[in-house]
Amino acid sequence: MASKSTPRPLPGQHQLSREFIAQHQRARIVNALALEVAEKGYRNVTVADIVKRAGIARNTFYENFGSKEDCFLAAQQFAMSAALGRVVEAAGEIDDWPYRVEAGLAAFLHFVAEEPALARTCMVDALAAAPTSVRYYEESLQSFVSLFRLGRDVSPHGGKLPETIEEALIGGVFWIIYQRLLEEQPERIEALLPELVEFTLTPYLGPERARVVAAKGNGASTASSSRG
Amino acid sequence: MSEPVNPSVDSPEYPPELARLPPGRHGLPREFVARNQRERLIAGLAEAVAEQGYAGTTIAHITRHAAVSRRTFYEHFSSKDECFVAAYDTVMAELRRRVDEAYNEEDEWPQAVRAGIGAMLEFLTAEPHLARLSMVEALVAGPVVVERYDAAIQGLVPYFEAGRKGRPAEVLAGLSPSTEEALVGGMVSLISRRVFADRTEELESLLPDLTEFALTPYLGSAEAAKVARQA
Repeated sequence: MASKSTPRPLPGQHQLSREFIAQHQRARIVNALALEVAEKGYRNVTVADIVKRAGIARNTFYENFGSKEDCFLAAQQFAMSAALGRVVEAAGEIDDWPYRVEAGLAAFLHFVAEEPALARTCMVDALAAAPTSVRYYEESLQSFVSLFRLGRDVSPHGGKLPETIEEALIGGVFWIIYQRLLEEQPERIEALLPELVEFTLTPYLGPERARVVAAKGNGASTASSSRG
Repeated sequence: MSEPVNPSVDSPEYPPELARLPPGRHGLPREFVARNQRERLIAGLAEAVAEQGYAGTTIAHITRHAAVSRRTFYEHFSSKDECFVAAYDTVMAELRRRVDEAYNEEDEWPQAVRAGIGAMLEFLTAEPHLARLSMVEALVAGPVVVERYDAAIQGLVPYFEAGRKGRPAEVLAGLSPSTEEALVGGMVSLISRRVFADRTEELESLLPDLTEFALTPYLGSAEAAKVARQA
């Protein structure tokens, strides 16, 4: 899918700083790994596959990463922080919590649709890829959990919600997205927004109010406008 | 429910694949021996994987635990992966059987759901190695198993879809085509995180939360909480 590969410097152009090239090289390798893993499954991917995909020398791989696992972890971290960044950026604009969730979910779905291979490095089978994958996943999960937990303050029955509800809601959202990714229909992913909004907001607001938000929300075309 | 038992111990609760016959010649019919060998290989794989994880398990480990020869292994399976698939299917069939039994014993759907979830948690708690095999190791055992894993989870959807029956229109209007998928995914995610972290002793305490989460879209939160918290 849409991986943004760095253009090669034109002949004679040696002005790019080493750091710039290094950064982009890492990103390129990480992207290549994500694509390979999405295609073949983590276990079957080799460093040879990755370097071929990235169009780099084997040496270059090892200048950047110690192993496939190392590279995978970097991909996972890169993907998670990119996704979270988009969510925070979109949600941060908005005061009203339900619409904040709506905007955050929209941004997340948009990221997944744009970068399905990268998104997959954060999901289900990815958890088993490397021992530290799970720990990293847990940490990232906490950020999403705290976004949802705010809903307890605005919910009429926030005090009575099950302790694990945020975890369950996010797990459910991830699972659905994962299924669509497996079906290789990234275009269907953004269409999930209204039902995911309803699903996640219902425990806090009840079904009617959740439905209103799902119908009214602007999703990806966010920005300013105050919400009703 | 009995104490946690090692699957290699003979127990009437367990299907043959998860129990063991004593090694040695018994003068038993060929099919019986063959079937038993397969079962022992499956049990052997489960033990080996529990000891050193899937990646670190070799066919030699499996055959040692199973007390069969390498040749016998290859009479039944062409690879470690294939043996794992058989083990996975066996564990899942047993889990499914227990969930079905508990679910079908109840007359009312909400209680049936609670009982089914309870049975699942009970099994995973009693058999932490099998829990790990089916939820953690399965993810690194190759694409065939990962597919089975997905299918197993999706296979839980009908238990919840049954909750749509007889609901008033406004409840049904609040459900979407993915509601059951989301519920199932959410529940499994809670369970698998604890299995990953080797905290299976926490699983049974999840029963009220999981029940409430699963029933709320169909019954509303008040009613769902009531069912969830009943003794």
